[in-house]
Amino acid sequence: MKKKLLSILLAAAMTLSLVACGGQEATETPAETPAEEAPAEEAPAEESAEAPAESRPNRLIYGSTTEISGDLGNEWWTNNATDMQIRKLIDDYHVVRFDQDGAMIVNSAVVDGDIQTTENEDGSKTFTVKIKEDLKYNTGDPITAADFVAYALVMFSPATLEAGGGVVADYVVGSAEYQSGESYLISGLRLLDDYTYAITIVPEYLPYFFEQYYANLMPLYLPMYAPNATLVVKDDGEGVYLDGGELNAEDINASRFIYEGRVSAGPYQLVNIDTGTLQAELTINPNYAGNFEGQKPSIETLIIVKAESATAVDSLKTGAIDILDTLTDGNLEINPALDLVDAGGYSYVDFERNGYGKIQFACDFGPTQFPAVRQAVALLLDRNEFANQFCAGYGSVVDGPYGLCMWMYKDSQEFFADNMDSYSYDPAKAIELLEADGWVLNEDGTEYSGTGTRYKEVTAEEAGTYALNVTLADGRILMPLHIMWSSSEDNPVSELLVVMLANGQQTADAGMVIEQTVMSFTDLLNYMYRDASVDAKYGVPTYGMFNLATGFTQMYNMAYEMSMDEAYWGTYNNNFIADEKLAELAWDMVYGVEAGDEATYLDMWQQFMDRWNELLPDVPLYSNIYYTVHADWLEGYDQSSYWEFRDAVLYASIANAE
Amino acid sequence: MKKYIVKRIFYMIFVFLIVSVLMYLLYNLIPSDPARAELEGIKTQLRPEEYEQRYRNLRDRMGLDDPILLRYARWMGFAPEKESGELNGMLQGYFGYSNFFKKDVSDVLPVRMKNTVLINIFVTFLALAITIPLGIVCAVRKNGKFDNSIQFLTIIGYSIPIYIISLVFIWLFAVTLRWFPVSGMETPGANYEGMRAFLDRVYYLTLPVLILTFASLGGMTRYVRTAMIDALGMDYIRTARAKGLREKVVIYSHAWRNALLPVITVIIGWFITIFSGSVIVETTFTLNGMGQVYYLALRNSDYELALATQMFYCAVSLIGQLIMDLSYGLVDPRVRVDK
Repeated sequence: MKKKLLSILLAAAMTLSLVACGGQEATETPAETPAEEAPAEEAPAEESAEAPAESRPNRLIYGSTTEISGDLGNEWWTNNATDMQIRKLIDDYHVVRFDQDGAMIVNSAVVDGDIQTTENEDGSKTFTVKIKEDLKYNTGDPITAADFVAYALVMFSPATLEAGGGVVADYVVGSAEYQSGESYLISGLRLLDDYTYAITIVPEYLPYFFEQYYANLMPLYLPMYAPNATLVVKDDGEGVYLDGGELNAEDINASRFIYEGRVSAGPYQLVNIDTGTLQAELTINPNYAGNFEGQKPSIETLIIVKAESATAVDSLKTGAIDILDTLTDGNLEINPALDLVDAGGYSYVDFERNGYGKIQFACDFGPTQFPAVRQAVALLLDRNEFANQFCAGYGSVVDGPYGLCMWMYKDSQEFFADNMDSYSYDPAKAIELLEADGWVLNEDGTEYSGTGTRYKEVTAEEAGTYALNVTLADGRILMPLHIMWSSSEDNPVSELLVVMLANGQQTADAGMVIEQTVMSFTDLLNYMYRDASVDAKYGVPTYGMFNLATGFTQMYNMAYEMSMDEAYWGTYNNNFIADEKLAELAWDMVYGVEAGDEATYLDMWQQFMDRWNELLPDVPLYSNIYYTVHADWLEGYDQSSYWEFRDAVLYASIANAE
Repeated sequence: MKKYIVKRIFYMIFVFLIVSVLMYLLYNLIPSDPARAELEGIKTQLRPEEYEQRYRNLRDRMGLDDPILLRYARWMGFAPEKESGELNGMLQGYFGYSNFFKKDVSDVLPVRMKNTVLINIFVTFLALAITIPLGIVCAVRKNGKFDNSIQFLTIIGYSIPIYIISLVFIWLFAVTLRWFPVSGMETPGANYEGMRAFLDRVYYLTLPVLILTFASLGGMTRYVRTAMIDALGMDYIRTARAKGLREKVVIYSHAWRNALLPVITVIIGWFITIFSGSVIVETTFTLNGMGQVYYLALRNSDYELALATQMFYCAVSLIGQLIMDLSYGLVDPRVRVDK
């Protein structure tokens, strides 16, 4: 009897689960199901690799290794890579953007003519933007200058701050008062007519090499951010303000998760985001006016799905996804993907990473405060071999804080050849440098015997609180050439560094000790930032060397990273480097050069690189070559460091699309 | 019986509170700064003032600068919330805020729970349907060729990590034979509805269900086999046979009914695990379930989400233990559970 009861319970549970879980889980109304859609057994893109001549759906399935969380909040918040990808595909029409080479340009699809600049007597600067009259949202609603102004009014509002969106409102005249609630309007933002707005920047933020970026607004559909009020942008001559109600944090936060009927102005519009199956579907926005080159997308539907790194290439091979973007791991991802390309049916595009993996030094204490020691570390590591091994052949080496895709680098080949030291592997030169720098003693103060750790006599100021210092009976302070290295766990870079540097015979022969401590990456960052707010122990300088990676954006700016102002030490200047010349060059390069003066900017950039290369606060280890692999019926797809999927897909098409 | 249940419920509440304190402290011992982690990716795009403002906002919103006991009290619902001044914690049904999903945890978990339960119902049903008869046959043919072969296979199945089983199955059934998809939960962009959607879902879930079933065969088969061998060695079996009963009746009516006593608690335990997802299989197949979300929460330092998931498991296990203990008394009259 009990067995029967158990069986009945089992069957009932199964039936219930089918009823409860079997339905469609899309959070929004799904798009029309194509009548001829193949059933699941007819694997969706099986045909993609094997029958290229047949017609296929005008649809691209994009595999992303980052989870879709469904947060479409704009840049006032932080969202993950896939959410950002979706947002950028559905929201465009920025006044200023970047072209294929990373150069800042005025978006001619949005702006009528150029941005007009007026220098005011008080040192402030006004940018006047006239937008085109035929712009529309995906719904067909017209876009006017009020929509651009609304973006600033919501972005700088106290409600957005309360909603957790942090945007500093001190660069536009009157915006700080507006954000703090002291004023109901932004005096430095004016709605001049239906299609023109003007934005005035405070003198403290000028000059700035990328100053046009201050004028960068995009249209914002107010009803989505204030569904319970009828807000209107007004300007009575004193500045812009919102009339007809108030913004509140709850509505602003809710706007991030509106999927159904989301009003947007990009090449694509959102059909749905299914957080149950981790998929997003987008279709062409019929009202999109094109990008800055007038380019509109031709691929009707984009499906963005989650792909697990371990099986992503298999998913591509079986046609479950059509494109895998930015593969980084040479052995696990790139080689299997290129095998697919060799077998036929797939193509790839490769591009340089705009950043690099590096050894980073703390330049204010211990042995790594001395440039000679940092240079010696560079000379003791065969960086070409390191990059080759780590990237499995898909990487290169840089000699400064730049990416190979930067126009500044491309224009500086001759300068680099003449001035930059590549620190090629040379243990003998490393020893010479160390000896010249005073690392010539044993622990007892006698002349270095040729084996063991080198010591250097240092001043009390140089000695600081470094725990390994030795004080002799005669009062002399000796510092050992013993570098404390913080490395993160499960990190293949660290493992290779142990073999090729820390445990290398050449390092021991040079009288240098590199002592590794493995910790979580969070812990590493705490030590690197010296973040005493997490724990007092992090506030004490402990590690002189870290290994991690860094990247650059199109607006190259190292002013705060090299700043001598201690306010920026830790969070921004986490090398703790205090070199007047380096700091000046980094600052003046962007805050001392007028916009458009590329020659001066380039000259200062080169000087900055030269000085950085000499001081070597980091040792760049490798800069990857990334690969994006896709089915070969995707035509015209070209990607680069500055030209992401969301840009490249506009120019791509599907061969024999239905 | 009622008194026993009430007493156990009080114990459960006590244990739950102790576990909640321990878990909360453990998660907060991790040297992390979720506010900084959230901003790390966009740091280079922000001016220092902007970064600092966002960082301070986040720390304030997350309450990271408050004493840990106060944070615990708020999280549990013993102390009022910072912003609203009202009690709003676990005890009031608020399970926290997911920093990764930017939503309340209670909005994040249900859909994942549904996916996990769907998968595990199939797995449990299939595994029981296979292991119980298999264990019985092995016990009846103890030390025979069939039994030895099954023992060998179950040892192998039991020993191989599920990650390896997954990759082998994917390679064989998805990449080589192309019978099933490599990963995912439904055909991308198909937007099926009704029965077609259900069949599509079944097609996508078949391979992970097979893997989970395969991985769970070893333990249960051996457990049933052992219970049956014990039962078949009892005097009442000899008596039954001496009475001239058919062997089928002896095995299924007499031996199996008695062997069921220890097995049933394991079976009930299995049903309780339908709420807990497999981290490895769900992650490998990008199945949006409880296991995957727990892994994701840990990887992204989303500790409120991880904690809520963990406390949910804690509650499920406590309730499960009570049900298991009660079931002993229900299926075996010799066991009294009223003390």
